[in-house]
Amino acid sequence: MLVPRKYHSLLVAAVLLILSLAVLSYSAARLSETGFLRKTVLEAAAPVEDAVNISLKGLHDAWKRYLFLVGLEDENRRLRKQNAALSDQLNRHREGHIEGLRLRKLLNLTEDLPNRTVAARVVDRSRTSLFKMILINKGTADGLRVGLPVLSEQGVVGRIIETAWHASQVLLLIDENSNIDALIQRSRAQGILQGAGAAGCNLKYISRVEEVQAGDVVLSSGLAGVFPKGLLLGVVTGASRREEGLFQKIDVAPAVDFGKVEEVLALISDAGADK
Amino acid sequence: MIYYLLLPVLLLLLVIVQITILDLFSLGWIGMEISLIVVIYAGFHLDALRGGILSLILGFFLDCLTSAIFGLYMFLYILIFYLSMIVEGKVYAGKPVLIASFTGLCTLLEGLVIVLLYRFVFGADILYAILKIFIPQAVVVGILSPLILGLFQRFEVFLHAEDRRPARRI
Repeated sequence: MLVPRKYHSLLVAAVLLILSLAVLSYSAARLSETGFLRKTVLEAAAPVEDAVNISLKGLHDAWKRYLFLVGLEDENRRLRKQNAALSDQLNRHREGHIEGLRLRKLLNLTEDLPNRTVAARVVDRSRTSLFKMILINKGTADGLRVGLPVLSEQGVVGRIIETAWHASQVLLLIDENSNIDALIQRSRAQGILQGAGAAGCNLKYISRVEEVQAGDVVLSSGLAGVFPKGLLLGVVTGASRREEGLFQKIDVAPAVDFGKVEEVLALISDAGADK
Repeated sequence: MIYYLLLPVLLLLLVIVQITILDLFSLGWIGMEISLIVVIYAGFHLDALRGGILSLILGFFLDCLTSAIFGLYMFLYILIFYLSMIVEGKVYAGKPVLIASFTGLCTLLEGLVIVLLYRFVFGADILYAILKIFIPQAVVVGILSPLILGLFQRFEVFLHAEDRRPARRI
């Protein structure tokens, strides 16, 4: 053996640490396409996550709807069951109606957009607060790829950072790692909209001399080529000029309520399709 | 061999349970990072190769399913695994207080690496996350860790239990 036995552990540790550090440095430096292994993991996990979430929701609903009925009189139970069944039916109809309205809005949005779009359902969302991402049920088989913008009827949701064949991860607008070229609709001042976690977003690099008001609408500027020009990003909630520095501090509330997004559209641009 | 065949399946299931069922208990605030406790347990009980590969696979799955920066958890878990091995070699790692403190420290180390990475690579300041997320998470995961390590130990004893039936007379 080239290496003495007592140094084997040290050698394994060094190899694994260097390997992981190399992967981290590589992926931190550039946005790369999702590799085969990562795609397989995402593809295998997405349906399981979907099934677990649906089961949990079913359990939660069952608990809410039926368990409190245990121990009541027969007549009461029958009436309540009937009531629950009717409520459930009504709920399903209402849900269908709301879904129809949402899909109609999405359809209208699709007609307004110049690019081809792919509609997808949100399968899972990260509930813990550090990485702001959602998992959608469409992937490379539907034409999605890393970097594509994702919208809802309310505005920009984020961009795709991982793709499997039938699932993709979307990095939300509010993640600290998200940066989008933006402009203020009223003044046309241009800056970068950076995610600020639970606080929403910050519009950076807007000069102190620009007049920015609460309520100003923030749109995508279309400069970086990822997001088409004119998509709604959010609304300015506050701006302050600090004593030092060249730029203002501008807080922006995103247009999309990320906790309630259920369906999204991915915009497929022809540019970079050969990537 | 069976270890290396079963390991990816079990670890993927663990990660899925962590990001779906256990995530419900987080209340949108702090994550129940059982995977970190698994890595520390591996550091206390496994050799460098088996534990290193366990940490690599677990980190890979977490990177695929939860992380915005690929490779982040692979690096962190391998680092924490070897730190655990070193600690296990220096002190008696069976005391609940030591396990809880060490797990808490590892959670903080993980948070610090993420904050520094965001600061110096992406230019994003998420220093608030240390106070708001990682310190409460370190406390919760630290308190849970002796319990969960105890469960792992029982499971391991169950798996390796000797057959205690008396030998048959010939």
